[in-house]
Amino acid sequence: MYFPLSHPWAEDETLGEHLERRGVTRRQFLKYCGEVAVMLGLSQAMVPEIARALQEQRRPSVIWLQLQECTGCVESVLRTADPTIGDLLLDLISLDYQHTLMAAAGKAAEQAKQDAMEKNRGSYLLVVTGSIPRNEDGIYLTIGGRTGQDVLMEAVQGAAAVIGIGACAHFGSVQSARPNPTGAVGIADVIRDRPVVNIAGCPPIADVVTATVVHFLTFNRLPELDGEGRPIFAYGSRIHDQCFRRAHYDAGQYVQEFDDDGARKGWCLYQMGCKGPATFSPCPIFQWNDHTDWPIGAGHPCLGCTERHFWDTMTPFYGRLPNVAGFGVERRADTIGLSLALGAAAGVGAHAIATGIHRARTRQAPNKEPADLPVIPTEKKSEEDPNG
Amino acid sequence: MTGHARAGEASFTREAPVQYKRVYLWHWAVRAMHWVSVLCIITLAVTGFYIGRPYFTSSGQAINHYVMARFRFVHFVAAGVLVATAMLRVYWLFIGNRFERWDALLPYRQEDWKNMWLVLKKYLFVEPWKAPHYLGHNPLQQITYSFIYLVALVQILTGFYMFGLADPGGFFYTVFGWVGPLFGGEQVARFYHHVLTWVWAIFLPVHLYLTVRADVVHQESRISSMIGGGRYVRADVEFVDD
Repeated sequence: MYFPLSHPWAEDETLGEHLERRGVTRRQFLKYCGEVAVMLGLSQAMVPEIARALQEQRRPSVIWLQLQECTGCVESVLRTADPTIGDLLLDLISLDYQHTLMAAAGKAAEQAKQDAMEKNRGSYLLVVTGSIPRNEDGIYLTIGGRTGQDVLMEAVQGAAAVIGIGACAHFGSVQSARPNPTGAVGIADVIRDRPVVNIAGCPPIADVVTATVVHFLTFNRLPELDGEGRPIFAYGSRIHDQCFRRAHYDAGQYVQEFDDDGARKGWCLYQMGCKGPATFSPCPIFQWNDHTDWPIGAGHPCLGCTERHFWDTMTPFYGRLPNVAGFGVERRADTIGLSLALGAAAGVGAHAIATGIHRARTRQAPNKEPADLPVIPTEKKSEEDPNG
Repeated sequence: MTGHARAGEASFTREAPVQYKRVYLWHWAVRAMHWVSVLCIITLAVTGFYIGRPYFTSSGQAINHYVMARFRFVHFVAAGVLVATAMLRVYWLFIGNRFERWDALLPYRQEDWKNMWLVLKKYLFVEPWKAPHYLGHNPLQQITYSFIYLVALVQILTGFYMFGLADPGGFFYTVFGWVGPLFGGEQVARFYHHVLTWVWAIFLPVHLYLTVRADVVHQESRISSMIGGGRYVRADVEFVDD
């Protein structure tokens, strides 16, 4: 495990010098740059540029704010069994202020943040995990006696770029699910004057965060974003279209329940409520923990956590379609639809019978009420009528 | 039919022998659109319900099967044909005859609403003789078909939106990308696309029944008008839209 204090990054050292001192060879370093270029969808001709930009990088200051969240994203981003150069980069730049990881606490920690913000004004990266509660003037989240929104807006003023990590920073995640008691919103709903990168997911993949940071350090601008503020290089296509179980989807082979034969054979989890067809994420390609696995790989349907308000729109997680409210438990849309359709067919039948009865009565008592139309004479009729 | 020959009515028929006249309602293109839509909608419903909830699975190796992919292919082709038909129908709303034009599908006059109420009462066996007669669509039909068109529109929009997701940045993604957020998320759009099919499942038996009923009970020759284009109607009956 990488331990930052064993080889502290000296004040004016560049990343290249630092990695060299830590025993990282140039070959390893270039390999990493190549990987990141692939991840970002860049040409391999860009690798030298990435390498140059990274190795000349002086310790970039990062302030990491944890707001209304569960720390799961920090776990996902920082916990790796075998730290890569990317992790080193991330760990190192993360250390100016990260109130869960830093040794300092209380006033000392807050002072460290103030110092870092003043010293690096206009150049530090602001990383945010967690949402902003806005009800009751934001009292549902206070840090050092100040509301989350206050803390965030102060840090945003001097930031070179703002990167939101996780579903909370994206749209508010579970705390913003209906009825959203604390009025939680994503940071992009509070920060209006500049673009916010949303590394969406609950939690997101660490490699996406690293690649985004590398992009920023290399080109001095943020990668191309989609309508949700998610980097397109990572969130450019659906899980469904990258999934290794897709062949089973196309073949019509579906897991019907967990632990059935299909589940053992690795069939498609569509029927188990997999939201892969509605979810844009690089999970099938990047995966977690050095490509160890990912949810669908482990046999669990996708929950759709990179999509806005997935707690509300993607539920039930084990059903294909949302439930219909107001019809009680387990009453699916199809059940209601089928009942109505059968009801319509039955109603039609009943109406046909009623029509027959009505006509018979009209004929029996023709003078009581007029027929719908004047009665039609036919040749047959006049023959039948002997008085005709 | 012998019941018709009862005394009180026989004298009426003798005094005023009924003349028939033929009215031409539906251009062959409109009739073709109707029957093509019927085929497409049934195909879309059958394949769509499989896509929404695969009601059988294949066994063995995935390489030997292509069930869902074929269902989806047929679904998309049928959708394409239906949309092409719908576009033609929209064009026809403006160039068609007075029974086919847009104003024949909208009960916008006050009189239409009054007549709709009378037609509704006719179906509830309340003073059926008061119901007005129409050559084309009566106001209840007008509003029903307009509603059905609206349902189809929602399904077309949500369908193209979901179709576009497979190719981000492509034509359908770019043109219909706004539909998902409008519904409040992909799954919600998917839900409406799916559940609105039941509107067709409800519409179909009612539509069939009322058409057959019009022919059997009122000799309106509605079914043949959608095949041959014209109707034989009683010359002595007054029609609202004559």
